[in-house]
Amino acid sequence: MSTELKIIGTNVTRPDAHDKVTGGKNYPVNFSLPGMLHTGILRSPYAHAKIVSIDTTEAEKLPGVKAVLTPDDVPQRPFTPVYFVPAQARSMVQDFVIMSDTVRWVGQPVAAVAAVSPEVAAQALELIDVEYDELPAVFDPEEAVGEGAPRLWEHAEDNIAKHAKFEAGDLEAGFAEADHVFEGCYQTQRVHTCYMEPRVCVAEADSRGRIKILSSMQHSFGLREKLAFALGIPESDVNVIKPDYIGGGFGGKLDIGFIEPIASLLALKTGRPVRAQHTRAEDFISTTRNPIKVYLKTGVKNDGTFTARYIKSVLDCGAHATHGSEVIMVHGLYGTFFPWNCPNQTWEGYTVYTNNMIGGGYRGYGAPQGCFAVESQNDEICEKLGLDPIEFRLKNTWREGDPHPVLPGHELNTYRLQECLEQGAERSGFRNRGKAGSGSGIRKRGIGFACHPLWVSGCVGFPDIYEHAGATVKLNRDGTADVVSACVDIGSGQNTMLTQVVAEELSLAADRVRLVYADTDTAPFDAPTHASRATYSAGTATRAAAVAAKKRLFQAAAAVMEANADDLELRDGKVAVKGDPSTAVPMTDIIERAESPFIQTTEDGPAPTTLAEKGTIIGTASMAPPSNPSPCAAEFVEVEVDTETGEVDVLNVVYAHDIGRVFHPKSAEGQVEGGFQQGMGYALMEHIVFDPDTGACLTGDFLDYKMPTAVEMPRNIESIFIESIEPTGPFGAKSLSEMCIIVPAPAIANAIYNAVGVRVKDLPITPEKILRELGRL
Amino acid sequence: MKELLTIEVNGERHEVAIEKSDSLARVLRDRLGMTATKRGCDTGGCGCCTVLVDGRAVYSCMTFAKAVGERKVTTVEGLVREGELDPLQQAFIDADAVQCGYCTCGMMMAARQLLDENPDPSEDEIRKGISGNLCRCTGYSKIVDAIQLAAAAGRPA
Repeated sequence: MSTELKIIGTNVTRPDAHDKVTGGKNYPVNFSLPGMLHTGILRSPYAHAKIVSIDTTEAEKLPGVKAVLTPDDVPQRPFTPVYFVPAQARSMVQDFVIMSDTVRWVGQPVAAVAAVSPEVAAQALELIDVEYDELPAVFDPEEAVGEGAPRLWEHAEDNIAKHAKFEAGDLEAGFAEADHVFEGCYQTQRVHTCYMEPRVCVAEADSRGRIKILSSMQHSFGLREKLAFALGIPESDVNVIKPDYIGGGFGGKLDIGFIEPIASLLALKTGRPVRAQHTRAEDFISTTRNPIKVYLKTGVKNDGTFTARYIKSVLDCGAHATHGSEVIMVHGLYGTFFPWNCPNQTWEGYTVYTNNMIGGGYRGYGAPQGCFAVESQNDEICEKLGLDPIEFRLKNTWREGDPHPVLPGHELNTYRLQECLEQGAERSGFRNRGKAGSGSGIRKRGIGFACHPLWVSGCVGFPDIYEHAGATVKLNRDGTADVVSACVDIGSGQNTMLTQVVAEELSLAADRVRLVYADTDTAPFDAPTHASRATYSAGTATRAAAVAAKKRLFQAAAAVMEANADDLELRDGKVAVKGDPSTAVPMTDIIERAESPFIQTTEDGPAPTTLAEKGTIIGTASMAPPSNPSPCAAEFVEVEVDTETGEVDVLNVVYAHDIGRVFHPKSAEGQVEGGFQQGMGYALMEHIVFDPDTGACLTGDFLDYKMPTAVEMPRNIESIFIESIEPTGPFGAKSLSEMCIIVPAPAIANAIYNAVGVRVKDLPITPEKILRELGRL
Repeated sequence: MKELLTIEVNGERHEVAIEKSDSLARVLRDRLGMTATKRGCDTGGCGCCTVLVDGRAVYSCMTFAKAVGERKVTTVEGLVREGELDPLQQAFIDADAVQCGYCTCGMMMAARQLLDENPDPSEDEIRKGISGNLCRCTGYSKIVDAIQLAAAAGRPA
């Protein structure tokens, strides 16, 4: 198949790149409507309190203020803000309301105003007088489940929002069989996705109360569904306009925020368009990656074969469960339990309420936390028992053709972990690394790696998660194609991928395919841009739409060419009878004929056509993809650690990934390089810090929250893509994005261990922690 | 109380009513409708709002519009000359340095100053030159490639 592909696999110019380098007019942050009002949101200064009263009199008197909302003005309908599940999915915890009479975290919205300018809105907030009755708060999840801890919710005894358990085999027998047992506790921290475009939306209501909204979210249909549910109106009374692109997402824009319902309610109240935008400090207290503490106990034979593993994971979801009840499941399934082939395993997960800020979706969705724990301990096992770390991984994972460990009825059709490990080791010089801490001098180098053996290409097989996608493809008389898709480009190249799919299928140049206007009134449903799914799922459906358009083209062509539609083929922009190039007719001629009047008068006289060829050449598809094939990956990292300052320099990175099919080599590398930046930040520096007494966020801007700049980043990041050509994927594709962020943290931790012989088990691995482990602090 | 400000942006003089406290970013985006300059944090932490003032890259969110005075402001809207993209713009497209693209305009303005002052920078100089600008998508590799490409395009063959 690969020899025939002309567009897939090439670095076509991204369709939105020109727009973005000349100013990027179509980001949601730039959207505005005449007469638009601006929103301000008053947020709780307390981590836990009952609201006694809210006095908005003075705020309402301020010139320029058009409306004020308090908890009394909003529907008290509990729901889950998670976009990709039905509004009342039983697997999710429904504890979210737009505004409530009880605040449970610092920053929870208490009141909102709409005013003629952001400045007036901000001024009005200062005039709102709220009386609180402060309640005791708890910030540590393990304290929160203890006796006498303050309780956040009536429905959650011991503050446990969700408890789940998976078991396989006989754990006790497995540990009895082990020659060695390893135990450890691995802690990850709260981090933010740090999308560059703040969350923003503009909502307006028509005279019948129907809402039209454009938002920076990663899912148009989810917004329609959640917003309608939160407001208590029919879904058809909400129309979500898909933005052409958004300024990053990474899972941080998967939830309906507070801004969308608040702006909608203010628009209904004022009859004017209303815009709401987060400040960066507000972004930092919205949707973060949940910290998870993982207790890990593993039994192994002398040769490194797993005999038993017990895993307990405690997730701090903050004041609302939001994604926490789903992240814990994905963390359990795909982050810790099923990636590894261990006959006797038990995993227990707890999602625990605290008075911390809420969590959310973040690229990797529970797996970075799991992979850090498991791959750190795997490294410890190999070190202690003197095992070859690559053979050890291969011994305890899966093989191509194995039944899919999680999804009944599916197989690991394509699965090349061994190639990832071997090629990565080869390119990184891993086999030549020294013994842990054996280097001399103040600055010591080390190489380490981590792999992740199992991940997803979407959500087929998961309970309660939408996975179908759809598109409409229309051919124009000038030989271009228009694609209507609700799939949101969040920066990772969905617009490029969709145009490549259509161009390839319809034998067009990539720049002849356009993504056009889409909203939830007119486009087929599409699940969010998340779960590494867009290429596999939206790509599958969009290809089917292009195939449907091609079928229609052949029907028209059959009439024009007096041939059988089944005998036709499309090649280089021409329709021809298969095997007979002399019959070739440019596809534009067919499209023109199909769109022309029955008899068209030309210079040469009337040109009659047939009825059979009439009609727009268009195709639509809406479907779920056939499977959920697993990518796998390994990453090798070389670091240099300064033993006097504890500072870590990341020097070289080699990442190897079984991707199925590379669609766009440079974009694929971009995913790896950007994923490494986020993973390296997670490993070494990023941390949302709270005041331990008040629960207030202390890292509300980029001066206090540090992420890697171009200076800290390694000079060399090499990507190796193993093209296994997945038979169920569109043009052989599987997935890429999330794996790129799952493996960096344990790879860096293992490299640091190799450099200086000390292991830090709680992220981020700061210079202080390294110096403490080295006995220098 | 609004007041009238005269400001030169991309070679064109504008008279615009502003609040005393307006940042340059606020004036460009909301008063003049020039939205290439993005606001990412409003605290001088991300660099999305970077513009040139007399050729020097500044965070326009941290610059009072009134303080600009007679100096010349250049934004991404001013990079295109007679329909031709600036070599940096073309290089960002060619190197696939644009993912979500939200940092791109600010990044290009920082790079513009760098190349104007140092037409043949080393990789370390490029990385230092854009270290005041955050990107969350690319890991900076392709951005560094793009700036090298633009530098090469600016060199005589």
